[in-house]
Amino acid sequence: MDLFLQTLLNGLLQSGIYALVASGLALAVGVVGIVNFAHGEFLMIGAFMAWAASAFLGVDPLLSLPIVAVAVFGVGALTYRVSIRHVLLAPELNQMLLTFGLGILLQNLALMLLGGNTRTVTTPYQASSLNIGELSIGGPKAIAFGLAVVLLGALYFMLYRTVLGRQMRAVAQNRRGAQLIGIPVDRVYLIAFGVSCGLAAVAGVLVSVLLFASPTVGLVFALKAFAIIVMAGLGNLTGVLWASVILGLSEALVQTYVPGGGGWSDAVFFLMIFGTLVLRSFRRPA
Amino acid sequence: MTAFQGQELIIENLAAGYGKIQVLWDVSVRVGPGEFVAMIGANGAGKTTTLRAVSGVVRPTGGSIRLGGHDITRATPTQIVSLGLGHVPEGRELFGLMTVRENLELGAAMRPEARAKQAQTLDHVYSLFPRLAERAGQLAGTLSGGEQQMVAVGRALMGRPSVLVVDEPSLGLSPLMTQTVFGALKAVHAEGVSVLLVEQNVGLSLKLAQRAYVLENGEVVKEGTGEALLADPGVREAYLAL
Repeated sequence: MDLFLQTLLNGLLQSGIYALVASGLALAVGVVGIVNFAHGEFLMIGAFMAWAASAFLGVDPLLSLPIVAVAVFGVGALTYRVSIRHVLLAPELNQMLLTFGLGILLQNLALMLLGGNTRTVTTPYQASSLNIGELSIGGPKAIAFGLAVVLLGALYFMLYRTVLGRQMRAVAQNRRGAQLIGIPVDRVYLIAFGVSCGLAAVAGVLVSVLLFASPTVGLVFALKAFAIIVMAGLGNLTGVLWASVILGLSEALVQTYVPGGGGWSDAVFFLMIFGTLVLRSFRRPA
Repeated sequence: MTAFQGQELIIENLAAGYGKIQVLWDVSVRVGPGEFVAMIGANGAGKTTTLRAVSGVVRPTGGSIRLGGHDITRATPTQIVSLGLGHVPEGRELFGLMTVRENLELGAAMRPEARAKQAQTLDHVYSLFPRLAERAGQLAGTLSGGEQQMVAVGRALMGRPSVLVVDEPSLGLSPLMTQTVFGALKAVHAEGVSVLLVEQNVGLSLKLAQRAYVLENGEVVKEGTGEALLADPGVREAYLAL
């Protein structure tokens, strides 16, 4: 019984980061209407920034987090201005080629400048752990989950309780309608894409503490984020939360109960995409 | 309800299109302050494109558009809305996953002077369309076509426009619902808003409009009072099948 609860707890903790990465991607897909294959690379940038701040300046990743978030928001906004904006009316294939190329560019830039080694961040709370009865939680994991919950709370507050959020949802639901009532669609795109990249970078900071920073660290998170938004339904911003929890829990269950589960758990998201697509094909739109 | 302040909309020698396809060649239309003007014509004549050019969604390639003394030929949709244009688009273009009330409130969001009077205008829209008050909390995407059209008209009114352009409001509506929507347009006009109406229901719109223009292949080929065009043999034959 304790093993089962511990498994569920691990899965839940993991889902916090998934939800951060996936809600960022859902903003890019749902609001801006662009499938951003470079999403994982913005996570990678965040991870390296946290590592650099810690290694060279001795700044704790949790302290550098807000600065990284703002900086990568800026990088994302700039990326939108100089590239994404110009392909919004182009065929989807062109858009995908652009973001795919952007991803390769960023990954190789990182490889060139920083090398292929994994860089770890050491923190005083690295080995700490929290015990609740028979259950134990690693300190960094608990902190990461707490931060993810706070940030997601802020994101959804912005989306559902502020003027800007309402504009974003309006643009996501009907671009032309939004334009005709005077919503500055281009500006909303810029902000949404910046926030999208900022969320990926924040997840990257947490990943640098939990795992490491490396040029390819973002890839697997981006793939999982794609699985999550497929499951939630493209553009569905709230569905992302429960889809993240489902992925986190399924992975944890596979890790614990399937023999050799550690290796299989990274295949769970493929199964999730597959299952969702098959299931959806049976459901006719109303 | 404080009356709306109608303004003048002047379209002169407008040319516009999509990419290499030119749709409008020479469209000149004038809507005086507080006037009700209709634009009729066959499918593909350029009526919707004209309205989109007025809203700044389609960039004109020639000619000019003036709204209440401001040149809006090259302005952005956001600027044009803030100068007082309301657009009820073809196909309604609502925010389907938001409530009726949220849709209406968004209509006032982009103009400070409209936001200041939001509660007042909302009451007014509800009095024009009591049905919307009943459905205020319902998602717009779940409404009937006629109710959605009411939301589209209401959303445009929430911006307290001085000129309202309306694109095919009767499309897909029952005759009864069409009456309701047209009745509301009439009421809005009576309050002083200038209205430019594009309609496939030629008989009804010519009866309602003070003046009208006939568009063919991207050019204005006829203009006159609603009554005169209703009596015009060419118009009767081409658009009323009489």
